[in-house]
Amino acid sequence: MASVYYEFYRGSSVGMALTDALDELITEGTVTPQLAMKVLQQFDVSLANTIVRDVKAKAKVKGQLRTYRLCDDVWTFMIKDATVAVENEVIKSPRLKIVACKSGELATAGAHLPAEKH
Amino acid sequence: MSNKIVPSIYRAVIDDVIDAIRPEFEEFGVSADLVRKLQDKWEMKILASRVADFPVEPPPPQPTYPYPALPHATHNVPAYVPPSAAQQRLKSGGIDARYALATAQYAFPPLPGPTLPAQNKNTSAPVTAAVYTLPQTDGPSVSEDDDDLEPVSVPTRIGQLSGAPVGKGELAAGEGLSKDAEQIGSDLDDDSDDSENDAEEGEEAQSEIDMVFCTYDKVARVKNKWKCVLKDGMIHAGGKDYLFQRCTGEFEW
Repeated sequence: MASVYYEFYRGSSVGMALTDALDELITEGTVTPQLAMKVLQQFDVSLANTIVRDVKAKAKVKGQLRTYRLCDDVWTFMIKDATVAVENEVIKSPRLKIVACKSGELATAGAHLPAEKH
Repeated sequence: MSNKIVPSIYRAVIDDVIDAIRPEFEEFGVSADLVRKLQDKWEMKILASRVADFPVEPPPPQPTYPYPALPHATHNVPAYVPPSAAQQRLKSGGIDARYALATAQYAFPPLPGPTLPAQNKNTSAPVTAAVYTLPQTDGPSVSEDDDDLEPVSVPTRIGQLSGAPVGKGELAAGEGLSKDAEQIGSDLDDDSDDSENDAEEGEEAQSEIDMVFCTYDKVARVKNKWKCVLKDGMIHAGGKDYLFQRCTGEFEW
């Protein structure tokens, strides 16, 4: 179980669906923004735990790295012509963006990598 | 495989979240109906996004569905039958971006089902009722209402930004943005970077950019070869979602 729960899953399809649904209720006035925040926080926790607990699939990504960025322990990669192999499915994508936060175990190790390439 | 498990994972997540927030909602004095309403809205949007094939649930006990013979020709929809004329929940092939309401028709792969219309033409109510999964929530989603709603809602929001009754939302939005940019100087730099990136992505990929949300265990580089180990991720590619526990990446820069 991750001790730190990241909010980036809110940008996923599930997360956006929940955010949109909450926004609709806020606009109606039936839900306060404060309550909506609590729901989203709960979503962060639930989704992270469920993925850790229930998902066992392995994947592999290959492609051309177009840009890379490390800022505040968040790697952002732009991959061109990516091929993603997940279990027995292969997906090709002309442009793929990867957003990766530091995993829980790594946060304690304190690994440092050169962010700049000359 | 990981796309097939997506519906069950999402189902688990939805149930987990709803169960956890139910006491929160009660604390705030919000009715339990609202929890149900939120859940329905959430599920409908997930169905509408078609990121996976969602299973068919037992039909709601509403046998009196007037079945129109065929879907409306105005929408580019394969031969699926909407549940009722009043509740037109047609899913277009993504061309018509009217995601307002989704139906259980996503249980079927996006291929025309020859048997389906045949069944619908016969009054086999229980069989065709099995098509529809989630209990249908409200909303006569008549297309005219949608069109009316959108222009109505936009001016009210824009009115808050500029304070003047501007008929054209885009102008007012631009004014609002420029005012903010003038006030906060530091954001201007960020905005320019973002807008450049957005412009690039907008030009090159009119459709969605494929995304991967995950955590990283290791990112390493040797010369121009990058290798990384990613964990607990969600991939959104080709309009579909995939989940992984572990992913290795090999890239050339």
